[in-house]
Amino acid sequence: MNENLFASFITPMMFGLPLVTLIVLFPSLLFPTSNRLVNNRLISLQQWMLQLVSKQMMSIHNTKGQTWALMLMSLILFIGSTNLLGLLPHSFTPTTQLSMNLGMAIPLWAGAVITGFRNKTKASLAHFLPQGTPTPLIPMLVIIETISLFIQPVALAVRLTANITAGHLLIHLIGGATLALMSINTTTALITFVILILLTVLEFAVAMIQAYVFTLLVSLYLHDNT
Amino acid sequence: MPQLDTSTWLTMILSMFLVLFIIFQLKISKHNFYHNPELMTTKTPKQNTPWETKWTKIYLPLSLPL
Repeated sequence: MNENLFASFITPMMFGLPLVTLIVLFPSLLFPTSNRLVNNRLISLQQWMLQLVSKQMMSIHNTKGQTWALMLMSLILFIGSTNLLGLLPHSFTPTTQLSMNLGMAIPLWAGAVITGFRNKTKASLAHFLPQGTPTPLIPMLVIIETISLFIQPVALAVRLTANITAGHLLIHLIGGATLALMSINTTTALITFVILILLTVLEFAVAMIQAYVFTLLVSLYLHDNT
Repeated sequence: MPQLDTSTWLTMILSMFLVLFIIFQLKISKHNFYHNPELMTTKTPKQNTPWETKWTKIYLPLSLPL
Protein backbone atom coordinates (compact mmCIF):
# COMPACT_ATOMS: atom_id res chain seq x y z
CA MET A 1 0.00 0.00 0.00
CA ASN A 2 2.86 2.37 0.86
CA GLU A 3 4.76 1.64 -2.33
CA ASN A 4 1.70 2.18 -4.46
CA LEU A 5 0.72 5.40 -2.76
CA PHE A 6 4.02 7.17 -3.31
CA ALA A 7 4.56 5.79 -6.78
CA SER A 8 3.44 8.97 -8.51
CA PHE A 9 6.19 10.96 -6.80
CA ILE A 10 9.11 9.00 -8.23
CA THR A 11 11.12 11.08 -10.70
CA PRO A 12 10.31 9.74 -14.18
CA MET A 13 13.39 8.33 -15.84
CA MET A 14 13.42 6.09 -18.90
CA PHE A 15 16.41 3.73 -19.08
CA GLY A 16 18.60 6.35 -17.43
CA LEU A 17 17.40 9.16 -19.69
CA PRO A 18 15.99 12.13 -17.78
CA LEU A 19 12.39 12.22 -18.93
CA VAL A 20 11.75 14.68 -16.14
CA THR A 21 13.49 17.49 -18.05
CA LEU A 22 10.82 17.30 -20.75
CA ILE A 23 8.12 17.35 -18.11
CA VAL A 24 9.61 20.43 -16.45
CA LEU A 25 9.95 22.06 -19.88
CA PHE A 26 6.33 21.43 -20.86
CA PRO A 27 4.62 24.42 -19.13
CA SER A 28 6.83 26.82 -21.04
CA LEU A 29 5.18 25.58 -24.26
CA LEU A 30 1.89 26.96 -22.97
CA PHE A 31 3.26 30.50 -22.87
CA PRO A 32 4.01 31.47 -26.49
CA THR A 33 6.41 34.32 -27.18
CA SER A 34 4.84 37.57 -28.34
CA ASN A 35 6.25 38.33 -31.78
CA ARG A 36 3.99 40.96 -33.27
CA LEU A 37 2.57 44.33 -32.43
CA VAL A 38 -0.93 42.88 -32.07
CA ASN A 39 -0.83 39.31 -30.82
CA ASN A 40 -3.37 36.54 -30.84
CA ARG A 41 -5.90 36.09 -28.06
CA LEU A 42 -3.88 33.67 -25.97
CA ILE A 43 -0.78 35.84 -25.84
CA SER A 44 -2.82 39.00 -25.22
CA LEU A 45 -4.64 37.32 -22.33
CA GLN A 46 -1.38 36.13 -20.80
CA GLN A 47 0.16 39.56 -21.26
CA TRP A 48 -2.79 41.23 -19.54
CA MET A 49 -2.58 38.75 -16.64
CA LEU A 50 1.15 39.32 -16.38
CA GLN A 51 0.69 43.07 -16.21
CA LEU A 52 -1.99 42.73 -13.53
CA VAL A 53 0.14 40.47 -11.36
CA SER A 54 3.32 42.48 -11.79
CA LYS A 55 1.59 45.75 -10.92
CA GLN A 56 0.13 44.21 -7.79
CA MET A 57 3.33 42.56 -6.66
CA MET A 58 6.05 45.01 -7.59
CA SER A 59 4.37 48.24 -6.50
CA ILE A 60 5.74 47.96 -2.94
CA HIS A 61 9.37 47.86 -4.02
CA ASN A 62 11.77 50.70 -4.71
CA THR A 63 13.77 51.04 -7.93
CA LYS A 64 16.41 48.54 -6.87
CA GLY A 65 13.82 45.94 -5.90
CA GLN A 66 11.92 46.35 -9.15
CA THR A 67 14.85 44.98 -11.11
CA TRP A 68 13.70 41.61 -9.79
CA ALA A 69 10.34 41.93 -11.59
CA LEU A 70 11.26 39.53 -14.42
CA MET A 71 12.52 36.90 -11.99
CA LEU A 72 9.47 37.06 -9.74
CA MET A 73 7.01 37.04 -12.62
CA SER A 74 8.59 34.00 -14.25
CA LEU A 75 8.66 32.35 -10.81
CA ILE A 76 4.95 32.78 -10.22
CA LEU A 77 4.11 31.66 -13.76
CA PHE A 78 6.34 28.60 -13.47
CA ILE A 79 5.02 27.42 -10.11
CA GLY A 80 1.39 28.21 -10.97
CA SER A 81 1.43 26.43 -14.33
CA THR A 82 3.36 23.43 -12.95
CA ASN A 83 0.92 23.02 -10.06
CA LEU A 84 -2.17 23.36 -12.26
CA LEU A 85 -0.85 20.85 -14.81
CA GLY A 86 -0.19 18.43 -11.98
CA LEU A 87 -3.89 18.17 -11.28
CA LEU A 88 -4.40 16.23 -14.51
CA PRO A 89 -4.72 12.47 -13.93
CA HIS A 90 -1.53 10.43 -14.09
CA SER A 91 0.67 13.51 -14.47
CA PHE A 92 3.92 14.14 -12.66
CA THR A 93 4.18 17.39 -10.69
CA PRO A 94 7.75 18.65 -10.47
CA THR A 95 6.95 20.88 -7.49
CA THR A 96 6.39 17.80 -5.35
CA GLN A 97 10.13 17.19 -5.51
CA LEU A 98 11.95 18.64 -2.54
CA SER A 99 15.07 18.93 -4.68
CA MET A 100 13.50 21.35 -7.10
CA ASN A 101 11.89 23.48 -4.43
CA LEU A 102 15.13 23.72 -2.49
CA GLY A 103 16.86 24.62 -5.73
CA MET A 104 14.36 27.46 -6.21
CA ALA A 105 14.19 28.69 -2.63
CA ILE A 106 17.85 28.74 -1.60
CA PRO A 107 19.28 30.79 -4.51
CA LEU A 108 16.44 33.31 -4.43
CA TRP A 109 16.58 33.78 -0.67
CA ALA A 110 20.38 33.94 -0.69
CA GLY A 111 20.27 36.50 -3.49
CA ALA A 112 17.93 38.74 -1.51
CA VAL A 113 19.98 38.46 1.69
CA ILE A 114 23.33 39.03 -0.02
CA THR A 115 21.92 42.05 -1.87
CA GLY A 116 20.90 43.44 1.50
CA PHE A 117 24.31 42.74 3.00
CA ARG A 118 26.18 44.36 0.15
CA ASN A 119 24.12 47.50 -0.21
CA LYS A 120 22.71 48.23 3.23
CA THR A 121 25.03 46.33 5.58
CA LYS A 122 24.08 48.11 8.79
CA ALA A 123 20.34 47.97 8.14
CA SER A 124 20.36 44.30 7.22
CA LEU A 125 22.41 43.38 10.30
CA ALA A 126 20.01 45.46 12.37
CA HIS A 127 17.24 43.03 11.44
CA PHE A 128 18.71 40.62 13.92
CA LEU A 129 17.65 42.74 16.88
CA PRO A 130 14.12 44.11 17.02
CA GLN A 131 13.63 47.55 18.52
CA GLY A 132 13.02 48.02 22.20
CA THR A 133 14.32 44.72 23.56
CA PRO A 134 15.46 44.75 27.18
CA THR A 135 19.28 44.44 27.47
CA PRO A 136 19.56 41.04 29.23
CA LEU A 137 17.51 39.40 26.46
CA ILE A 138 19.77 40.59 23.62
CA PRO A 139 22.08 37.53 23.18
CA MET A 140 19.20 35.08 23.17
CA LEU A 141 17.18 37.20 20.79
CA VAL A 142 20.05 37.49 18.32
CA ILE A 143 20.35 33.71 18.29
CA ILE A 144 16.62 33.33 17.73
CA GLU A 145 16.57 35.87 14.92
CA THR A 146 19.55 34.18 13.24
CA ILE A 147 17.81 30.83 13.36
CA SER A 148 14.62 32.35 11.99
CA LEU A 149 16.58 33.92 9.15
CA PHE A 150 18.29 30.69 8.15
CA ILE A 151 15.11 28.72 8.33
CA GLN A 152 13.40 30.92 5.70
CA PRO A 153 14.61 29.05 2.56
CA VAL A 154 13.97 25.66 4.13
CA ALA A 155 10.47 26.75 5.12
CA LEU A 156 9.79 28.06 1.60
CA ALA A 157 10.80 24.78 -0.02
CA VAL A 158 9.17 22.45 2.47
CA ARG A 159 5.95 24.48 2.49
CA LEU A 160 5.50 24.14 -1.26
CA THR A 161 6.52 20.47 -1.35
CA ALA A 162 4.32 19.44 1.57
CA ASN A 163 1.22 21.31 0.41
CA ILE A 164 1.25 19.95 -3.13
CA THR A 165 2.26 16.42 -2.08
CA ALA A 166 -0.41 16.28 0.61
CA GLY A 167 -3.08 17.45 -1.79
CA HIS A 168 -2.13 14.86 -4.39
CA LEU A 169 -2.03 12.11 -1.77
CA LEU A 170 -5.48 13.02 -0.50
CA ILE A 171 -6.90 12.93 -4.01
CA HIS A 172 -5.36 9.48 -4.57
CA LEU A 173 -6.67 8.12 -1.27
CA ILE A 174 -10.19 9.48 -1.54
CA GLY A 175 -10.43 8.48 -5.18
CA GLY A 176 -9.37 4.98 -4.30
CA ALA A 177 -11.85 4.90 -1.44
CA THR A 178 -14.70 6.00 -3.74
CA LEU A 179 -13.83 3.27 -6.20
CA ALA A 180 -13.67 0.59 -3.52
CA LEU A 181 -16.93 1.74 -1.92
CA MET A 182 -18.92 1.67 -5.16
CA SER A 183 -19.41 -2.09 -5.06
CA ILE A 184 -20.08 -2.18 -1.31
CA ASN A 185 -22.43 0.75 -0.57
CA THR A 186 -23.32 3.16 -3.38
CA THR A 187 -24.62 5.97 -1.14
CA THR A 188 -21.37 6.22 0.79
CA ALA A 189 -19.55 6.13 -2.52
CA LEU A 190 -21.59 9.11 -3.70
CA ILE A 191 -20.78 11.06 -0.55
CA THR A 192 -17.12 10.23 -1.00
CA PHE A 193 -17.38 11.38 -4.60
CA VAL A 194 -18.75 14.72 -3.51
CA ILE A 195 -15.82 15.00 -1.09
CA LEU A 196 -13.52 14.27 -4.02
CA ILE A 197 -15.07 17.04 -6.11
CA LEU A 198 -14.68 19.54 -3.27
CA LEU A 199 -11.12 18.42 -2.74
CA THR A 200 -10.31 18.94 -6.40
CA VAL A 201 -11.70 22.47 -6.27
CA LEU A 202 -9.54 23.07 -3.20
CA GLU A 203 -6.53 21.73 -5.02
CA PHE A 204 -7.07 24.16 -7.87
CA ALA A 205 -7.08 26.98 -5.38
CA VAL A 206 -4.07 25.60 -3.53
CA ALA A 207 -2.12 25.27 -6.76
CA MET A 208 -2.45 28.95 -7.47
CA ILE A 209 -2.20 30.10 -3.88
CA GLN A 210 1.04 28.26 -3.28
CA ALA A 211 2.59 29.91 -6.30
CA TYR A 212 1.46 33.26 -5.00
CA VAL A 213 2.71 32.64 -1.48
CA PHE A 214 6.13 31.53 -2.66
CA THR A 215 6.56 34.54 -4.83
CA LEU A 216 5.16 36.88 -2.22
CA LEU A 217 7.55 35.68 0.41
CA VAL A 218 10.54 36.01 -1.87
CA SER A 219 9.35 39.51 -2.65
CA LEU A 220 9.08 40.27 1.06
CA TYR A 221 12.60 39.07 1.70
CA LEU A 222 13.63 41.29 -1.16
CA HIS A 223 11.79 44.26 0.28
CA ASP A 224 13.58 43.82 3.57
CA ASN A 225 16.89 43.87 1.84
CA THR A 226 16.66 46.62 -0.78
CA MET B 1 9.52 8.63 0.43
CA PRO B 2 10.73 8.86 -3.16
CA GLN B 3 11.37 12.59 -2.84
CA LEU B 4 14.27 11.87 -0.52
CA ASP B 5 16.12 9.71 -3.04
CA THR B 6 19.07 11.98 -3.77
CA SER B 7 20.19 10.24 -6.97
CA THR B 8 17.77 12.23 -9.07
CA TRP B 9 18.29 15.54 -7.32
CA LEU B 10 20.92 16.83 -9.72
CA THR B 11 18.75 16.18 -12.80
CA MET B 12 15.76 17.87 -11.20
CA ILE B 13 17.69 20.94 -10.12
CA LEU B 14 19.45 21.33 -13.47
CA SER B 15 16.25 21.03 -15.48
CA MET B 16 14.57 23.52 -13.17
CA PHE B 17 17.45 25.96 -13.58
CA LEU B 18 17.16 25.64 -17.34
CA VAL B 19 13.43 26.19 -17.44
CA LEU B 20 12.99 28.80 -14.76
CA PHE B 21 16.04 30.97 -15.19
CA ILE B 22 16.53 30.77 -18.92
CA ILE B 23 13.47 29.74 -20.90
CA PHE B 24 10.71 31.40 -18.93
CA GLN B 25 12.67 34.61 -18.54
CA LEU B 26 13.48 34.73 -22.24
CA LYS B 27 9.82 34.28 -23.08
CA ILE B 28 8.55 36.88 -20.67
CA SER B 29 11.20 39.45 -21.50
CA LYS B 30 9.90 39.49 -25.09
CA HIS B 31 6.50 40.83 -24.00
CA ASN B 32 6.08 44.46 -25.03
CA PHE B 33 3.83 46.67 -22.97
CA TYR B 34 3.00 49.61 -25.16
CA HIS B 35 1.62 52.95 -24.01
CA ASN B 36 -1.91 53.78 -25.06
CA PRO B 37 -2.01 56.10 -28.09
CA GLU B 38 -2.23 59.77 -27.05
CA LEU B 39 -3.38 62.87 -28.92
CA MET B 40 -0.63 65.00 -30.43
CA THR B 41 -1.27 68.73 -31.03
CA THR B 42 -1.28 69.50 -34.77
CA LYS B 43 -0.37 73.18 -34.34
CA THR B 44 3.39 73.60 -34.13
CA PRO B 45 4.34 76.43 -31.81
CA LYS B 46 6.03 79.51 -33.26
CA GLN B 47 9.79 79.13 -33.12
CA ASN B 48 11.73 81.82 -31.35
CA THR B 49 13.99 83.33 -34.02
CA PRO B 50 16.17 85.89 -32.30
CA TRP B 51 18.07 86.72 -35.48
CA GLU B 52 15.07 88.33 -37.14
CA THR B 53 15.47 91.52 -35.21
CA LYS B 54 19.24 91.41 -35.49
CA TRP B 55 19.37 90.66 -39.25
CA THR B 56 18.20 94.09 -40.19
CA LYS B 57 20.73 95.67 -37.87
CA ILE B 58 23.74 93.80 -39.26
CA TYR B 59 22.87 93.59 -42.92
CA LEU B 60 21.37 96.97 -43.50
CA PRO B 61 24.46 99.07 -44.09
CA LEU B 62 22.79 102.47 -43.71
CA SER B 63 21.98 101.79 -40.03
CA LEU B 64 25.44 100.59 -38.96
CA PRO B 65 27.31 102.90 -36.67
CA LEU B 66 30.25 104.12 -38.75
